[in-house]
Parts: sequence; structure tokens; C-alpha cells
Amino acid sequence: MRSEKNIGTILLFLFPALAGLVLFKLYPILSGFVQSLYTTTFITGGRSFVGLQNYISLFTDPVFWNSLKVTLLFNVIINPLQILLAFFLALLLNAKIKRIAWFRSVHFVPVAISVPTACMLWNIMLSPEQGVVNSILAALGLPQQPFLGSSSQALGSIIAIASWKGVGYWALFLLAGLQEVPTSLLEASSLDGASRWKQMIHIVYPMLKRPLTFVVVSVTTANFLLFSPMYILTKGGPENSTDVLMFESFNNAFLYSDLGRSSSIVVTLLLITLTIVAFQFRWLKTSH
Amino acid sequence: MTKTSTKKFGAWLTLLLVTTTLLAGCAKDNTASTPETSEAPNTSAANTSATEITFAAYSNYEKPLTKAIEAFEQQNSNIKVKLDLAPYDQLMETIEIKLGAKSKDVDALFVDSPLVMNYSVKGYLEPLDNLIDADAKKEWTPSAVETVSYQNQLMAAPMNSSSQVLYYNKDLFQQQGIPFPAEDKRMTWEEVVALAKKLTSDNVYGFSFEQISKAYQMLALSDSLGVKMISDDGLTSTGNSNSPGAVKAFQFYSDLFNKDKVSPKIKKEESLDYFTSGKVAMYLATNQNMPKIRDSGVNFGVTLHPYFAGQKIATPTGAWNLGVSKYSDKKEAAAKLVEFLTLGEGSKIIFEEGGTLPPQLDLLNAIDSDPKYGEFPNTVIRIAAKESRETAVPRPKTPGYLEWESNMNKAFDDIKNGADPQKALDNAVSVIDNQLKKYQGVAAK
Repeated sequence: MRSEKNIGTILLFLFPALAGLVLFKLYPILSGFVQSLYTTTFITGGRSFVGLQNYISLFTDPVFWNSLKVTLLFNVIINPLQILLAFFLALLLNAKIKRIAWFRSVHFVPVAISVPTACMLWNIMLSPEQGVVNSILAALGLPQQPFLGSSSQALGSIIAIASWKGVGYWALFLLAGLQEVPTSLLEASSLDGASRWKQMIHIVYPMLKRPLTFVVVSVTTANFLLFSPMYILTKGGPENSTDVLMFESFNNAFLYSDLGRSSSIVVTLLLITLTIVAFQFRWLKTSH
Repeated sequence: MTKTSTKKFGAWLTLLLVTTTLLAGCAKDNTASTPETSEAPNTSAANTSATEITFAAYSNYEKPLTKAIEAFEQQNSNIKVKLDLAPYDQLMETIEIKLGAKSKDVDALFVDSPLVMNYSVKGYLEPLDNLIDADAKKEWTPSAVETVSYQNQLMAAPMNSSSQVLYYNKDLFQQQGIPFPAEDKRMTWEEVVALAKKLTSDNVYGFSFEQISKAYQMLALSDSLGVKMISDDGLTSTGNSNSPGAVKAFQFYSDLFNKDKVSPKIKKEESLDYFTSGKVAMYLATNQNMPKIRDSGVNFGVTLHPYFAGQKIATPTGAWNLGVSKYSDKKEAAAKLVEFLTLGEGSKIIFEEGGTLPPQLDLLNAIDSDPKYGEFPNTVIRIAAKESRETAVPRPKTPGYLEWESNMNKAFDDIKNGADPQKALDNAVSVIDNQLKKYQGVAAK
């Protein structure tokens, strides 16, 4: 009876959050899905219903398949890489040494820089003509590299830039998790003769599962939707080697004036991301 | 009052003062126009505040546009122009995003010539026939009028045109002991490459395009070999944009970077700096770069646009036109601005400040007769005017020009980076033709 009385108050308090959820999350998803069933007609600017036609033309288009392949390849490499690097960075930042606060602020600098700024910065440094990276390579007697100008190096370069920018941020959550691990537990286990590796597997990893789940899921969604480095640095090139689905969707909406096709790409991307995230949740499910 | 509370009060007062000063500073922009309007006696009561129109423009034109708009606002005290500048690629996207969403944020806009049809088909542009002077069409060159017309309606007003000249760095030529090319003798591409090889050294590249990997300039290569890039109905690029002639033209482009290595693999935005800082000896660029090159202090000369030996002489041409958005609430004010910049005093300011080629007949006649344009470096404008009359080849006509151009630009860039031209062009046409299908119901004329 008491809870029934309170339900109004509870709803009232939850209302802003629920309204925000519906307005900014559910509505755009639904509207995107509806959009993907329509096509724009010329001159009048109106739109007509075409059902699943946009999806059918998408799945028969080699451009889409190439883009899907690039997106998956990109994510298969960048996600484990960023998570591992973030984990090692967190371990380093958790070290009990002098001036650790100073190191912790340094590692955060790339996170504080905006993505476009970071991209422009690396674009200049990786320039095949006068970039500082190539100058260093030349000084070391190594051959100069085209980086973003080569179809075999562009995706790798973007992975490196995105990781430089992102890893510090994800490490922050893991660092917070590491600091929750009680030192007494570690001390006790080392008295029992547990090696560092054993401690990592049996104490640190289980206690880190919560922040790790958050990081794994966030990294995955962030990278599936990553778009600005491709847009700023390569425009999907060279030879479509960095043409991820998000970029393809942008092109379709704002270059090819095909909002329907663009929305169907986004819906497809959403489904792929949801599937993968669902698997990740199952895999990292905490056992208590 | 106790001592601490006085201190507190003082702090609050300071904060208040700072805030009000800041707010006053912010508000200044908005209120500046009000006194001007109230001074104007003939504005009606309903029209006391100035109409502000937004003008989406190409950032390269900042200097001449700012000056012309100043003059416009002086004559039309009830209209204020907000200049929304963006570099080329971003300008195209801004227009797509804003007009695609039927936004009222844009009133007047830059329209690239080959996009007149594209924007018309998409319904972005308000026909100008009833908005500007009915006799306007007679004041522009017939080809300019044809470019901005779609289905017998004037969709935009031509503001300027362009051509290209070959600038060269006299100091670099002298260092290598190479005689200067004559201003009125057209070199072949083969001669240009031979010269470029001699001029290329550790820190200097022999030759560079201005608009690296951009269709506007690349088309001069295929046009010289007589290649047609798109079918007559404007809907098929396969067999045209990847024909043997096109492959030959862009193999030449590839060789400049990859085989002969006489051109730097840089971006379009960097090319002017490379020339003005002496890192490039020959620079094929639009006439409107002349004021910037002159002001940079580089010791330069000019000659005519090259062509392939024994083939057709073809020079790029392209123009900026001004349109009024169909979704604007202030079409009349926007049209007034468009008229001022393309016919009125504004067109003269843009021509003189920007060094651009005008499409207005009286300004073109002035270039031919005024002795001022017989003296270097003003001769650049006279050369450009002559080229645009005699050798210019317009860009392909298709409602899907935006799709064609963006994919071809990508292919050109891949070729620059060492991709096989045949493969790069084949890939581009397959994407383009797929995109052009949606225009099937739309006439290309």
C-alpha cells in the first residue's frame, strides 16, 4: 500500500530522465527507422514510402559490403587494442611511485584535446612531405612512409591516432577499479605465495569486471560510431580503405541526398552494434 | 556594516559590474543596426528593425565580399548581411545539410556552375526571374546565362568566372639557367614536364597544380585529349569517365607524382603556400590567385595553360553564381543582395578586389580596352578573359554533378597516391552510375 502511494512521487522524480530518454534516444532511433523506409522525391522535396527497398539496394551494393568489411576490420583491431592498452596504462598509473599525480595528468592530455584538433595535429605530423614523423624516420635511416596516403597504412594510422586519443580516457575507469582492489587482499595472497600473475587472474580481474564491462561496451560502441577521423583525414580513401559505415551514411545523407539509404545504413549499424554488445554483456557477466 | 560584509558587498559589486560590461559587449552586435534604421526616414513602422540575411559563401572570397557587403549595407540600411564563410568542401556540405533540411538559416548562397542543375532538381533554389531586374540577362555573357538557367528559368545569377594561367618563379628559373617562357607562347605538357624535371631539386618541385585532385582542374587534362566524361543524358559515366582517353590523361597525372616525381603530394589547401614560398617552380592556378601571389612578393611571371602535343587546347572554366534559397523567409532582401553583387556596384568591387573574371559584358569590355590590363601583372586577367572565350571547356552536365565530382575527386587523389588509374576510375564510375540512377526521371536540360 505504501509503495502504491509512492509511485506517483517516484514517477515524478523519474520523469525528467524518462522524458530525456524518450526524446533524445528512443525517438531518434524510431524516426531513423521510419526514414529508412522512405525515399526523397526530386523537385517537390516530398518523400514516398518504399518499404524495404532501401535495404534491398543496400545489400546488393558492393560499396556497402566494402564499407561493412572496413568497419568490422577496424573494430576487430581497435577494440581489443584499446582495451589492452587502457588496462596496461591503468596498471602503470596505479603504481605507487613518486610524482604519480604528474604522470596521471600527462596521460590525460590527449583526452582533453578535441578530436578535430587531434586529427589536424596528426595530419601535419604524418604528412608525407614535411611531417615530423617522416623526418624522424629519415634521421634514423629508415624509409619514409606515406601513412594516410596509402591504402595499406591509412586504417592503421587512424587506429593509432584514435587510440592515442582514446586510451587515456578508458584507462581512467580501469584505474578507478584498480584502486578499489584492497591492498590487504593482495598482501595476504602474496603471503600465501601467489605470483603476480595469479593475483591478476584471481583477485584483480574478478574485482575489475564491473568497470571492465563498462569500458568494453563503451569502447565498442564508440568505435563502431567513430567517424570524424575518417571524415577529417581521409574522406574514406585511399581506395576506400577507411570508408566505414558511419562515413558512408554521412555521404549518402549529405552528398548523395539520399536520406533513406543513409538511415538504412545507420539502422543496420545499430543492429550490428547491439548484437555485439549483447554478446559482450553475456561474456562479462559478473557471477554474483 | 561590519568589515567582512563590506568586503563581500564589494566582491558582489565587482562581479555585477563585470557581468553587465560583458553583457553590454555581447549585445552591441545586435543593437548596432537599430539607430541606423531609425535615422532612415522612409522605413515604415513595421520595418523599423533591420532584416538580417545569412549569406553562405566561399571563404576564398572573404576580402572582396566583405568590402562589397559594406557598400551594400550603406545603400540598404534596412538590410544586414551575415556572412557565413566556409572552405569549398565544407561550403558544399553546409548547403546540403541546411537546405536538405529545408532550414531557413540560409538566405543567399554561392552556387557552383555545374551544381545549378543539381540544386534546381533538389528544389533548393528560388527562381530569380521575378526577383531581380528583368533586363539582367542582357548584361551577362550568353554562356553565363545558359549555365544558370534550368527549364527556362533563371535559377541563380552569375557572379564571376575563372580561368587558369601558368605562374612561374623567375628566381628558380634563373638559378637553373633556364630562359623564361614567353607570355604568349603555349607550352605542351611534354615541354612542361621536361622543364619541371630540370627545375626539381632537393627542396624544389618543378610543377604543381593549384587544385590538386579536383575535377575543376583535372578536367583540362582529359578535355585536351577530347574525352567526354559523361553521357549526353547526364546519367552514365561508365565508358566515359573510365574510357582509354581518360586513363591516358590520368596516367599522365599519376606520372607527375609517382614516376617523374616533379609534383609534391600535398593537398589543394597547401599548394599556394608551396609556390609563394619558392618550393614549387611552375604553378598552374586560377587567375584570381594573382593578387595573393603579387602580394607575397615572389618574383613571378605568367604564361598560357599547357596542352598535350598535337591535341586540343582546353582550359578549365568555372564560375560562382549566387542563388536565393527556396526556404528563405527574406527572399526579397536576399535577391537584392544577389543583384547588387552580380549586376550592381558590388560586381565591380568583387572584380577589382578579387581579381576574378567577370561575366558582365561591360566589365569584360573594360578588360579588353583599358590599358591598365596591358601591364603585368594585370595581364593575367586579360589572358584569362581571352582563354575563357576561346579555349574554355565547361564541366560535365548532369543533375548528379555532386555525386560525379566527389567520387572522381577521390579517384584522382588515389591516382596521385599511386593507385592504378584504370582501377581507380573503374571503381569511381561504378559508384557514380549507381548514384545517378535516382535522377532517371529528371531531365538533364
